Formats: sequence, C-alpha cells, structure tokens
Amino acid sequence: MNKTVPDSRGYFGEYGGKFVPETLVNVLHELEDAFERFQKSDDAHEELSALLKNYAGRPTPLYFAKRFSEKIGVRVYLKREDLLHTGAHKLNNTLGQILLAKFMNKKRIIAETGAGQHGVATATVCALMGLECVVYMGEVDIERQATNVKRMKLLGATVIPVVSGSRTLKDAVNAALRDWVKSCQNTHYILGSVTGPHPFPRIVREFQKVIGEETIGQFKEAEGGLPDAVFACVGGGSNAAGMFYPFSSTDVPLYGVEAGGRSHKPGDHCETLTQGSPGIFQGARSYLIQDEFGQVLPVHSVSAGLDYPSVGPEHSYWKDANRVTYVSCNDEEALAACHTLTRYEGILPALESSHAVGYLIEHAADFAGKTVIVNLSGRGDKDLGIILGEVKL
Amino acid sequence: MSSYNGIYLVGNYPDSRRFIDAALKGLEFFDFLEVGIPFSDPVADGPVIVEAAFQALTNGETIDSILQSVDEIRKKMDPGKKIYFMNYANTAHAPGYEKFCKKCTDHSIAGMIVPDIPFSESGDLKRVAQGAGLEYIDFITPESTTEQIEEVVTFATGFVYAVSMRGITGQDLSFDDATIQKIKHARSKSRVPVVIGFGIRDASGAKSACAIADGFIMGTEPVLRLGKSFNEFSSFIDTLSSELKDL
Ligand SMILES: Cc1ncc(COP(=O)(O)O)c(C=O)c1O
Repeated sequence: MNKTVPDSRGYFGEYGGKFVPETLVNVLHELEDAFERFQKSDDAHEELSALLKNYAGRPTPLYFAKRFSEKIGVRVYLKREDLLHTGAHKLNNTLGQILLAKFMNKKRIIAETGAGQHGVATATVCALMGLECVVYMGEVDIERQATNVKRMKLLGATVIPVVSGSRTLKDAVNAALRDWVKSCQNTHYILGSVTGPHPFPRIVREFQKVIGEETIGQFKEAEGGLPDAVFACVGGGSNAAGMFYPFSSTDVPLYGVEAGGRSHKPGDHCETLTQGSPGIFQGARSYLIQDEFGQVLPVHSVSAGLDYPSVGPEHSYWKDANRVTYVSCNDEEALAACHTLTRYEGILPALESSHAVGYLIEHAADFAGKTVIVNLSGRGDKDLGIILGEVKL
Repeated sequence: MSSYNGIYLVGNYPDSRRFIDAALKGLEFFDFLEVGIPFSDPVADGPVIVEAAFQALTNGETIDSILQSVDEIRKKMDPGKKIYFMNYANTAHAPGYEKFCKKCTDHSIAGMIVPDIPFSESGDLKRVAQGAGLEYIDFITPESTTEQIEEVVTFATGFVYAVSMRGITGQDLSFDDATIQKIKHARSKSRVPVVIGFGIRDASGAKSACAIADGFIMGTEPVLRLGKSFNEFSSFIDTLSSELKDL
C-alpha cells in the first residue's frame, strides 16, 4: 500500500482536497507550513513525546483479554486507548495540535465534538496551555453526553449548543467552520478526526499513528510476528487511521467497523463506506451518505461519536484499494458487546469502541483460534446513562 | 461607468410563486440574479440563509423544481440580464459535472458561484463549465495575496466576487484598509467587473461598496424581507432603487 499519500494537494488517490470557502485557503497553507516545521523540529518532537509519556500516559498497554478470548474462541488483544488521560485516543491529536497552535501563535482554540471526548481532550490541552477554548456541540449530543459537557465546562471551555440541522456532530463541524471563517486570524481549529480539508486528514493521522506503531512493537514482544487481524471502529476514522496506517504496508487484514444503527434503511445507520457514495462535504471529497441531489441524509447511531454521514478521505482510499475491509455492527450488538466486555474483563468500553468489539463477537467463528487486536479507542463512563437504559442489571 | 449589481435569493423560497415574483421585481433594479440552490450543510451561510434553505428543502424543493421557476422568470425578465446559480460543490458533484452543467445551459443559466470551492480546487468543475460555455465565478477575500488576486482576475469570466470580510453571509459590513486596497488592486487588473458581496444590507452599504468596486451583491436582507411578505420585499427594493438612483 502506498504510504506517501496524501500528495501535495492533499489527495489520497481521488479523495481529499480542500473544499472550503476561499477565505480559509491561506490559513490552511499556514497550517501546512507550521506542520512541516513541526515535523522537522527536534524540540517540538521532544516536547510532544514528553507530554504523551508523562501527561497522557503513553505507551498505553496492549492487553491480552484472557476470559473474553475464552468466551468467544478468538485470542484477543486490546489496545488500551481507554487508559489514555481523559479516556480516549482523542488526546493524542489535541496534544499535537495545541503545540501547532502555539507554533502559529494562535490565542484562541475552537473544536467540534460529538461524543464529547474530542471536546474534553481539546478543553484539557487548552487548560494545560492556558488558551481560550470554544467547543461546538449539537443539542442532541449535549443531552446524551451530559457528563462530558460538564467536564468541558469545568475545564474552562465555552460549550456552544448547535441547534441547526440534525443537531449532531456534522452540524457541530458546520458551526466550527463558520466560526473559523470569521476568526482564522487569531484562532486555530482543532479538528477531531481524520476528516475535513487538507492538511487535517494528514495531521490527525500523523498524531494518531502512535497507536499502531506502539501496537506493532508490543505485539511482536508478546507473540512474535504480526496479528491475524486488526479491528477498529470508524466514525470520522481517526482511531482507525492511527491504528491502521502503520499496518497498511503489511498484509495484516484490517477491519473498519461502522455504526449499523437500527437497520440498513436510509436514516437508520452510519454505514458511510458500505452504503454511501463519493461526495464533497465539509472540506473533502470522500464517501458520503447522500441522496441523488447531493443532499446529506440523516444518519443514526446509538453512539454519538460514530453518528456522522461521512468519513476521512484516507478510508475512502483504503476502501477502493481493498486494503481495509469496512463492515458494520448495529446498536444492539454494540450495547451487548459493551456489557460482555465489562462482565468478562472488568473493562467498560465506550459505545464507539464497542462497535469494534461487537463485530468481532458476531463474527467470532470466522476468526476461531486466530490472534487478533481490537483498538479499544475509549472508555464508557460517558455512556453510562445510555447503557443503563438498555442493559438489564 | 454605471455599477453592476446582483441580488441573491434562495430558489423557491418561501414558495415558487413568491420566489418568481421577487426575482422579477428584483431584476427591475438589479443587473443579475443569483439563485441559491438549497443545500443541507451550507457552511458559508449565516442563520437567515441557512433557515431559508432549510425551509425550501423541507418543502421538497430540488434543483429541478427551482429550474422550472427559472424558466418562468426567464420568459418575463429583461433578456439582457443574467441568472447565476449559487450552489455548493456537492450539488454539482452528485449528478456529475457534465450533467450539472448541461442542466445549466439547458435553462439559460449564465454560470455558477460555488462558495465551498476555492480557486485552487476549482479546475475540474471550471474546465467542464467553461467548456459548456458557462461562466465560472471566483472569489477574492481579505485573506487573498496579491499573487492570488492577480491569478483570479487573469482567468475571470463574468465577474469577480470580492468577499468584503472574513466571515459568512449575514454579518455586519466592515471593510479594513488592507481589504479596500486589495479590491482596488483587483479592479485595476480586471477585465470583468469586481463586485462586492457579504454584509451589504442597505443603500449606505451599497454606496460604500460602489465607492471601492464595480458593484455590490445583496443576499441576506432580501431573503429576510421576502420571508416576511412579498410586499415587504417589494417596498425594500423600491426604497433601495430610489436611494441608489444615481449609482
Ligand atoms: C472513544 C471514541 N472512539 C471513536 C470515536 C470516533 O471517532 P474516530 O472515528 O475519529 O476515531 C470517538 C468520537 O468521539 C470516541 O470518543
């Protein structure tokens, strides 16, 4: 697999690009330049490495889940991003981007959030660096991820409810983009996934690829060689890209698990890569759930972090190249998986991550006796309200 | 030289009848009409246009139902004036650029303005559009460099859309000095009119735009008025044209 994507124009094959209002073009150039300088700076790397180690808690463990493995008949390792500070992989990216913001001398930070994990991770690094933080969040998500809203406020962030459209993640991105067109001179937008205009898909992947790099080393030490398969959930696709990218030059089978929602009917799921078609949306050309006129259709998932009608352009590229297999896990299976993992391992996964676990449980027969890795992208404390509403104790 | 001014309306908002009447009324004063094709995720627009587009979509409007109204407007309007589409990229991408452009030419659309395709990304659609004889309108903004401005005006067809400020539609008008210089520079190099849009909601805004550029585009205010009633819209246009009769 070609690892040199994106090209200089931000394309992964025919996906990606910079589809933004003209006003944002130069601020994206500025960001590209800052990232190049950052990549070449030893000081910056040292600062980020130290923060990842001492502040965030990297490396995160690769844990062999013995009882769960016995239960499903597959040998399962969990990459424990749930143990990262703030409880999800999102902090890998926000720590990197806050250093970029300092490089560019931006005083104000904006972000979008769905599940609230990226919002919390952004509010956290802003508290750490003493920068102003504004987080856009859809009203529907504010309700279903209330704990994270309180955490963001406690961290000093301003949370702005978004009441337009479906009032979920995509509308929060629209609101953040509208803010940024006005404020780009003094504001950095910390985008939370491998989505949006170039250079975000590349930057976020580069900050998240530490997940896959650590995993390869840890697995080699534990088992020797490479795993038989790797699984990660896909919303925008950042935890999956971070895990998959270092594996993309090997021939290890990779599975990206999208949210199957209530059914395969339009409006009931977020199966962008298996049900969508290429479109231009929120900065990039990528797969999109849309109608014949190009209107973006409503989507649904029990997990706010996967409730998004598009996906990062590199995933579209991997899909067309058949490098990653994209599949789905529905609401019910994800909730059941969340419960199972909690009971068998004492690990409460985020509902997002539960989709990757749930797919594996449902298809355990296909992987019987094999040794696989699941990226456990986050912890489920934020989802207690939803989980307790669905699971009988 | 007299000014070259445009009015923006959301296609078939608040309904096809009022849209057609408003377009014809507007074209008595304005030189061109921009028809906004409602899109589910309009990132370049402020609350007024977002809400109008949402209403139109909720009413089931599509590019095809809007083109029916365009045909009616065409029949009655001054044939020397132009109608443009203001459409988001995905509206053209979904059917494919060829089919989309053919639809435009079939209905005598003069060209397109695409707020989420910047100059650097416009090659593919521009090639198809210009091949079909359509104008493709590019933007200059307060963020544009001199080099970028010169590149845009060199290749411009129809007119150049100068965005007055950093922001989205429906904000208050404000020009900083650097922006004024950029727009004047664009004008000095351009063969086509340089027209200012974003933030112009009354005669005084229009006058300040025309002091710098070749004309102005007004969108949010007419959409807001028309949402209230046709009479409100109509008297707004009458007032504007009497206040701007010397322009
Ligand atoms: C724990 C967790 N996993 C996954 C996601 C989905 O995002 P991505 O696909 O970018 O990893 C989120 C988003 O909020 C999340 O909180």
